[in-house]
Amino acid sequence: MHMADALVSPAIGGIMLAASAGAIAYSAYKCKDDLDEKKIPLMGVMGAVIFAGQMINFTIPGTGSSGHIGGGILLAALLGPFPAFLAITAVLLIQSLFFADGGLLALGCNIWNMGFYACLLVYPLVFRPIVKKGFTPTRLTVASIVSVVLALSCGAFSVVLETLASGITELPFSTFVGMMMPIHLVIGTVEGIVTGAILVFVYKMRPEILESSLENSKLTPGVSLKKVMLSLLVFAVVLGGAISLFASANPDGLEWAMQRVAGTSELEASDSVHNAFAGIQQATAFLPDYGFKSGSEEGSAAGTSFSGLLGAGVTLLLAGGTGYLIYAVKHKKKNQPEA
Amino acid sequence: MANISDSMSTINSLEEMADGKTIIHQFHPMVKLVITLLYIVLVVSFDPYNITGLVFFAFYPVIMMALAEIPYKPLLTRLLVALPFAFFAGVSNIIFDRDLLFLIGTVPVTTGVISFFSIMIKTVFTVMAVLILIATTSLPQISYQLLSIKVPKLIVEQIMLTYRYISVLMQEVSNMYTAYMLRSPGAKGIKMKDMGIFVGQLLLKSFDRAENIYFAMKCRGYDGHYVYAKPDPMKSADWLFLLLTAGLLLLMRFFNLSQFIGSFL
Amino acid sequence: MLEIEKLSYVYPDGHNAIREIDLKINEGESVALVGANGAGKSSLFKLIIGISDIKEGSIKIGGLPVEKKTLKEIRKKVGMVFQNPDDQLFMTKVYDDIAFGPRNELLSDEEVEERVTGALEVLGITHLRDRMPHRLSGGEKRVIAIASVLSMKPEIILFDEPTSFLDPKARRNVINTLDKLKMTKIIATHDMDMALEICDRVIIMNQGSVFADGPVEKLLLDEELLLQCSLELPLCMQKLEKLERIKIEQNRQSLFSNQI
Repeated sequence: MHMADALVSPAIGGIMLAASAGAIAYSAYKCKDDLDEKKIPLMGVMGAVIFAGQMINFTIPGTGSSGHIGGGILLAALLGPFPAFLAITAVLLIQSLFFADGGLLALGCNIWNMGFYACLLVYPLVFRPIVKKGFTPTRLTVASIVSVVLALSCGAFSVVLETLASGITELPFSTFVGMMMPIHLVIGTVEGIVTGAILVFVYKMRPEILESSLENSKLTPGVSLKKVMLSLLVFAVVLGGAISLFASANPDGLEWAMQRVAGTSELEASDSVHNAFAGIQQATAFLPDYGFKSGSEEGSAAGTSFSGLLGAGVTLLLAGGTGYLIYAVKHKKKNQPEA
Repeated sequence: MANISDSMSTINSLEEMADGKTIIHQFHPMVKLVITLLYIVLVVSFDPYNITGLVFFAFYPVIMMALAEIPYKPLLTRLLVALPFAFFAGVSNIIFDRDLLFLIGTVPVTTGVISFFSIMIKTVFTVMAVLILIATTSLPQISYQLLSIKVPKLIVEQIMLTYRYISVLMQEVSNMYTAYMLRSPGAKGIKMKDMGIFVGQLLLKSFDRAENIYFAMKCRGYDGHYVYAKPDPMKSADWLFLLLTAGLLLLMRFFNLSQFIGSFL
Repeated sequence: MLEIEKLSYVYPDGHNAIREIDLKINEGESVALVGANGAGKSSLFKLIIGISDIKEGSIKIGGLPVEKKTLKEIRKKVGMVFQNPDDQLFMTKVYDDIAFGPRNELLSDEEVEERVTGALEVLGITHLRDRMPHRLSGGEKRVIAIASVLSMKPEIILFDEPTSFLDPKARRNVINTLDKLKMTKIIATHDMDMALEICDRVIIMNQGSVFADGPVEKLLLDEELLLQCSLELPLCMQKLEKLERIKIEQNRQSLFSNQI
């Protein structure tokens, strides 16, 4: 479910980075207040456990396919919501850097989709109320399945929204949702069952672990958890609305910014200076808008004329050549002392 | 198991690359972080139908990799992992976006085809940029910089701790997995019904480990937060590199040089 | 100086880990703490360093009692090297790990630098300074764990199984390193040969109490005593014995053949 940089527009990426940064800052602030110092190494190690644990393949009976564990709900149950959110953020950052799982621009989206819903929304609103009356294997299993399915669905739905709002894919909304939701429902159920089994085992062996995280998830007296979560939810909805409005009007955030700066999206070929570049002017990167895509307007269509494509090919060759040249020069330099 | 040993060797090889001593390695981590982000933003900001301008951004990864002496092969393998989802998103464009642009011989080129290639190229470029960053700058270096842009210390500590224990935990998982598989011949993975105990055991061991780490920290005077060295300031060479590269990237973004070259052909 | 008086400790689960221990360890002594698994070595360490709370008896370090409010002071005087260096080294750079203790003392950057460099030089590992701990070998990690305690300039260092899981060369290196350190050392170990080599005194623990306490040469060569505590002679002694037995056998055989 990791989103890649290439599928996110700068505007969406930026907004989601800001939203996630806000959630991180709030969690860090909450932890600063009442985090047991003992938990700091624990959070780090648990992050590493999730990281490594996600690589364990297990076989799903009767299907021949395999699955792996998720992280959000499991971490939240073990650490409490805020520490879990921070731990998962660290995991996602490391994954994005080392494994090309998601990217830096899409990191905000990924933290939101895979961390926020599970740790800060579903855990306090669904998981916690179910097990609050006391841990039993049944309650733990039910809570895990329901929570993981919900968290994954929220995440998958957000992937759809964010991708569509970014305007990268032409996939219609209904098709996209139709593809994403059922599969994540299945994945969620399997993951939920496994999460439940893990938690039941941990509770059997060391009940105090789950109990303490449940207690730690309480907010300071006077602040109703529901209120905070509701306001977060409202914030998320408003944010979602803003994103889609913004995105539908401005398929390309940078273009939009340029438009604001230059007063027009098409930089006028002002008489003298740009005359020399008149040929290129038509094709400057930020000119084309969706209106051009019919190709009716001569030479435009986002600079995608045949000669443009040829130029692109030459460019790639040039780039490759430059790289080769640098390698060659470096290699020569290294060998010189020996010669 | 393939997954784990793959990941361990990926991390190892990237860490070894980050140990390099080339000019790119020596630039300030902040500079590389900013440039990488700028590069990604500029690349993804291209209109889906503008691949001629986009292609010019190939210069960045190519030059950086050559200067930093990063071998191509390991990065290209990582790239393959990232491509399938992009491919899926891109193919749908070919299906749903069928306005004809022009013909090459008798082969029609539609807007969908162009935007398909645009997505694929963007994927390649953005993934390369991130991998180049991590191949020239170690993760701890990057994390230190997060402190200087006021990212909460707690989250930086989390990144460092998680990173530190990934290799330890992967080794542990790999040992447990091997022990399990040796006793269950013919199995393709861990049986789902055993997962609770398998991961549960891993968790319990890790709780004990975390407790030991905590005690070891305590014995050395830890009291709730720890102090890092301040990151080195940026030198003038760093600023120069930053401004130059950022300038070039912006130039590449706003002047379609491919088109320019193409107009001479 | 470390003084332990009438120390007992019972874990919350009822396990009686330490029973009425009285001990006195003088400055500069190098003491081996041996005993079977579960004899109470680790529990004793945990009490000395204040990880477990003392409920019965007392521990004094240089006259200062180990208790909640003196812990900070105590931990400056007593350092502990954990058995698993992965537990001790949690930073992403060797330098930071060794600097962790000094920085917690809020020393200036220069002083921290001085402490770290000092520790690295004493142990002869300056070349590891900028490496990442998780990329080092087991032996290297051990030595760095020692450095991370050394940089705090403790008067006493507790070592928990410093030579376990090491290859012979790394083990030799750790032993030489320990031998170089001149402060008070208490080394919990199963490595009798190391104890024989670098310790002057040995304390044998059995089921939570001190079973024997005396000079190494005396206790570690007393096979009967060692066997009583599920221990055995140092391997070098076993080898000697075996050689001797072979010699006697050979003599007898030659006598026998002479008779024929």
